[in-house]
Amino acid sequence: MDSFELICPAGNPAALRAAVDAGADAVYLGFRDETNARNFPGLNFSREDLAGAVAYAHARGVQVFVAINTYPQAGNLGPWERAADDAARLKADAVILADVGLLAYAARRHPDLRLHLSVQASAANVEAIRLYRDAFGVRRVVLPRVLTVPEIARLNAEIDIETEVFVFGGMCPMAEGRCSLSSYATGLSPNRQGVCSPASHVRYEPRGAALASTLGGFTINLFGEGEQAGYPTLCKGRFLSGDRPAYLFEEPTSLNALELLPELKAAKVRALKIEGRQRGKAYIAAVVAAYRKALDAFAKGQALPMLNLDAVVEGGAQTTGAFKRAWR
Amino acid sequence: MRDPGIALDEAAPDTRARAVEVRLTQMGLGLARRFGDGVGGRLADRVLRVLSDRHPRAFTALRDMPEAHLLIDPVDAPAAVLLRVGPRLALRVCDRDGPAHVAVDAAVRGPCARLLDLLEGRIDGDALFFRRELVIEGDTALILALRNTLDGEDMDLFADMATAAGPLRHALPLARRHAGRMLDLLGIARRAAPPPLRWGMVALERRLGGKPQGS
Repeated sequence: MDSFELICPAGNPAALRAAVDAGADAVYLGFRDETNARNFPGLNFSREDLAGAVAYAHARGVQVFVAINTYPQAGNLGPWERAADDAARLKADAVILADVGLLAYAARRHPDLRLHLSVQASAANVEAIRLYRDAFGVRRVVLPRVLTVPEIARLNAEIDIETEVFVFGGMCPMAEGRCSLSSYATGLSPNRQGVCSPASHVRYEPRGAALASTLGGFTINLFGEGEQAGYPTLCKGRFLSGDRPAYLFEEPTSLNALELLPELKAAKVRALKIEGRQRGKAYIAAVVAAYRKALDAFAKGQALPMLNLDAVVEGGAQTTGAFKRAWR
Repeated sequence: MRDPGIALDEAAPDTRARAVEVRLTQMGLGLARRFGDGVGGRLADRVLRVLSDRHPRAFTALRDMPEAHLLIDPVDAPAAVLLRVGPRLALRVCDRDGPAHVAVDAAVRGPCARLLDLLEGRIDGDALFFRRELVIEGDTALILALRNTLDGEDMDLFADMATAAGPLRHALPLARRHAGRMLDLLGIARRAAPPPLRWGMVALERRLGGKPQGS
């Protein structure tokens, strides 16, 4: 059986080595600036780091993809164009882009560089995907996390480029690349500055026995004593609806689509992506090893192993997310 | 206890050896606190210098940060550690509430074993936070920057310190391999000791660890 490609995150060189050693087929990463959507303090790769990462990965038959997936600021294209140039120069296997201007630049300047369309482009229909293919030669599209498996199957039946879907990790329930919640609360967004809920605007404080998380001065959750916590994003905030505090958009939970491997294979998905460039290398080693084991078993037609990843997931809970969302 | 499925390195100390290392860390913090800023300060400087030499990428990054003070508080140890990042990078052992004369910008609190695992990248910090085993206060960006910087290293505190111990460094893998057996022997010796000696051993351990009598 033709195997899925396993695409794994890395926020630093040690995490990349962990991902490669645990069985990644490709590792995606970003530079240490606002050109990627995980622009967090202390995270990411210098140019020198990338050169070392490519050497380490290629020596082991693993590909490296560079995410340059934020939207350039008007009048300041330099950092984004330099990122694409350096990724090509340092022999990255693909760049993951969202902005049409940057896609045009990369296609023109680096015709041999493989272009993947980032989830940040939120391309979720046939016409949009065909446009990216025809205009820029995009070879793969990372689908937004809002599609059901039947929708993905219908999409793949009508397009002739590869699709990649997130199967594990943090959930983004919004139309990615278009969400302004973080920007509303902090003035900074994943789309422009590469930060959703920037740590500089996050505070945790005890309130009685509860733990309050605040973002830009807004209280977005109160975790009771012993209750599992989640990321401080507005989409996973707990707000008063009437008199009742409730998760209005999404609960603190992690995506895990392992049980859907047969359906995703039938839907002709080419690559499976693990979220979490911001996570520690221990998370990456554990999750990649677990998924590698599962994919190897699946490729051999064996029963999928039970994966114990409860210890690393947000909110202590897992979901198949939009893939099986019945209300849609 | 190490999380199932999260251990990174098969050469890492096993659970019992790790328990010894955690206890040694707690006792080391207690002793450094008792020695005061003079001897304790020199010990902390030595630890920082060895780690800096072994992990230049991370410690250069810490020196490049704006100056800030971060309290690292192992809640089951008799003392905490104050890390000053920035060009004047420094490490000091201090009271668990932080030193009176320094404004602390952020604090991380958790069990000593967890903080040690976090320092060495053997466990995921976000997962600890989700499970409420880690408490963070103050400047979240500072804590994240430190966590991400250290996670980029393959750090092993005891192995790194052992490299500075000359020929004794060869003893560490041996000690880790046989920690369980040594602990068993110590336990047998303790049980076999006459009560006054046994009580003396317990009291000595408490004094070294800085824990109050009867706790």
